[in-house]
Amino acid sequence: MNQTMNLGSLITGSLNDTLAVSLPLFRTELCLAATIVLVLLCRMLPLLRRLDAGLVALGGVCFALWFAWNDMRGIPVGGLQDGSAGGAAIVRQELFGGLLVFDSLTAYIRLLLMGFLAVYIPFTKASGIPDHEDGADFYTLVLGATLGMCLMASANHLLMVFMAVEMASVPSYALAGLLKGRKASSEAALKYAVYGAGAAGIMLYGISLLAGLLGTCHLPSMAAELSRVVDAGSASGNVMVLALGGLMVAVGLAFKLSAVPFHFWCPDVFEGAAAEIGGFLSVASKAAAVALLLRICFGLGVPTTGHGAVAAIGANLAELGSTRHFIVAVVGLMAAVTCTLGNLAAYGQTNMKRLLAYSTIAHAGYLMMAVAAAVAMVGIDPAGSRDAVSAVAFYLGTYLFMNLGAFAIVALLRNRLRSEEIDSYAGLVRSSPGIVIATGVVLVSLIGLPPLAGFVAKFLVFSSLVQAITAGAERPLMLVLLVVGGFNTVISLFYYLRVLKVMTFDPPPADRPGGEFSLVSLPGAIVTALVVPVVVLGIFWSGLYACAQLAGAFAS
Amino acid sequence: MITSLLASAVPMSGLLAALPVAAVNWHSVLFLLFAAVACACAVAVVLADNVVRMAFYLVLSLAATAGLFFLAGAEFVGAMQLMIYVGGTLVLLVFGVMLTAQAPFVAIKTSTGDRVLAGMVGAALLAVLLQAAFRVEPWRRPAMAAVAAPAATPIGMALLGVRVDEPVAGAPPAAVRSGYLLPFEIVSVHLLVVLVGAAYLARAKRRRTPRAIDVAASSVGPVVTAREAARSSASALASGGQR
Repeated sequence: MNQTMNLGSLITGSLNDTLAVSLPLFRTELCLAATIVLVLLCRMLPLLRRLDAGLVALGGVCFALWFAWNDMRGIPVGGLQDGSAGGAAIVRQELFGGLLVFDSLTAYIRLLLMGFLAVYIPFTKASGIPDHEDGADFYTLVLGATLGMCLMASANHLLMVFMAVEMASVPSYALAGLLKGRKASSEAALKYAVYGAGAAGIMLYGISLLAGLLGTCHLPSMAAELSRVVDAGSASGNVMVLALGGLMVAVGLAFKLSAVPFHFWCPDVFEGAAAEIGGFLSVASKAAAVALLLRICFGLGVPTTGHGAVAAIGANLAELGSTRHFIVAVVGLMAAVTCTLGNLAAYGQTNMKRLLAYSTIAHAGYLMMAVAAAVAMVGIDPAGSRDAVSAVAFYLGTYLFMNLGAFAIVALLRNRLRSEEIDSYAGLVRSSPGIVIATGVVLVSLIGLPPLAGFVAKFLVFSSLVQAITAGAERPLMLVLLVVGGFNTVISLFYYLRVLKVMTFDPPPADRPGGEFSLVSLPGAIVTALVVPVVVLGIFWSGLYACAQLAGAFAS
Repeated sequence: MITSLLASAVPMSGLLAALPVAAVNWHSVLFLLFAAVACACAVAVVLADNVVRMAFYLVLSLAATAGLFFLAGAEFVGAMQLMIYVGGTLVLLVFGVMLTAQAPFVAIKTSTGDRVLAGMVGAALLAVLLQAAFRVEPWRRPAMAAVAAPAATPIGMALLGVRVDEPVAGAPPAAVRSGYLLPFEIVSVHLLVVLVGAAYLARAKRRRTPRAIDVAASSVGPVVTAREAARSSASALASGGQR
């Protein structure tokens, strides 16, 4: 009899949690799921089949963007500006019984992803890679993958972490093979799928080790258990298993981030798949992976307080110090190697997409540096830690425009020149100066030179490293990271500028197909829409930075 | 040894019950039998040269693993293992392998160098994992606990979002314990998307508008639409190999 009463209250509690709390904050994802169904339904009905799948998808994404924007606006700004601890203003809401979490980082990344889709869908319409027949499949896959990425940004439970990674990855494998019949494309898809399956398997094993040892998959509870287990002493042998599990989870994350040594898929997939897919993978997938990295690093390394959290069961900041040390060492070392190898390997590339793939790898390194700094400063300089997370968020915001701009230029030039080799861009400035200027802006911003957005982003990342050094958080490693980062910025100068040199100084080939590429056309308008923010954000960056700071507030 | 590995792979307390302690009983005999079959067949998958045989050994290995789950009292996991893995591999065997395996692809030959390299990597990984599994005290302890109730009901309720099972001893308390309604529902969206992707890749497409590969590549020029241009340039980029 007691049992039945319990069951009733359990059901009521779960119903309340789901309907009143969770679903309203989950409407962006619900909107995406509804759009997927709508896109597919439209293809089944004879009249609606004429309707372009891209338009349906864009409509749904606009709704989702609106919801994401409202969620972001609903987060109170106060408490941060005045430099106080900011604890009161932090919104943290666990959804679905702790499987997901809604906070300012979730809202920011979600808004970023929806904004990305709102730009990306018109771009794919202009570049013409999913034609009318492929449209429904293509947009279903893109929306499905983005749904997974939203979950990656809000995962609060290792089950959801794994599931979100798979939801984001598996549609991407199919996207990589979008150009059926092309050997390179099929090869890219297969390679991506095999690598992804291997990484997912290793990650799952790591998750099972962690869950088996800690007795829970809920990240805040895991942090609490971690502080107990690690505190019990390393003699018990548990610590070695925990480290092994952590490293195995890191393998899965590194695969999503395309961090060295799990980056091998990246250049091949980018070269084999269409440039549109490269843009999707390098911007959206990367943003979600970095958000997930932040989630796991902060989830395991920092005890969670605040509404809806497990009431801080004995976990305190100091006890998790060794966990954080481990995380910082792994992320920091990986960041340094990733950044250097990405930049060095970009030198020998003759294919523009391959070059951008290595550039993507290098940028993952810069982002991971800031993540390492953010985790290192927890407990030593909370404001610095928040700033480092803001730097990551800002970087992702500008990276959207820079890198999608770069891939858009590659895709649209491919339509004219029938080639993606750097040599085929020779002397383009004579026939189409507009596109060369756009390329110049994007590449210089990717280097990180003022006065463009990339400079501000890179400056924020490096300043967070400096902040960590002054605060004395993991000082040797942060010094190494700062030196490596500076060195890499210099060497990246050469391979980006080589592209510009080919475009401007080299004589154009005699048999160049296609006419001039004017910016006053639909493709040109897309490029302009992506490049202008790169310039504008380099000068008026306070608006985006305010949003990024809001996102950074999650690391309180 | 196997149990320790399994315990780490599927963290269910019931699994720990499978370690034999006392005199030989049928439980231990069955455990050793299933474990031996699972290991031997797993090795056979790697060593076999013929694809069909590989798939058959895989079915045996997975079925034996399901037997281990049943022995451990995790009958839900065992049933899932049978349905998803054994059933799935069987379908793979029948359709995937037997229908598509043609003479050049039936036999897979591995070079000696690859074998040595794979063996070294595999042995290193096994050593690390074994050491890890044996280091954790609770995973090493032989225990023979009685399995309380059928595990399927609590799992089914959890999939509906309500957790009726008793919390594991020592687990941190929580206000609302996480049910699995969200993963259960969201994975259906995922499966839908993946099905669409698989259908796209598998479909032999009969295009209404002929692909630019098939028309002459002379339609190049400023007048071509973006769509045609993208199609044909994509094909022009192909490094050979359009079939």
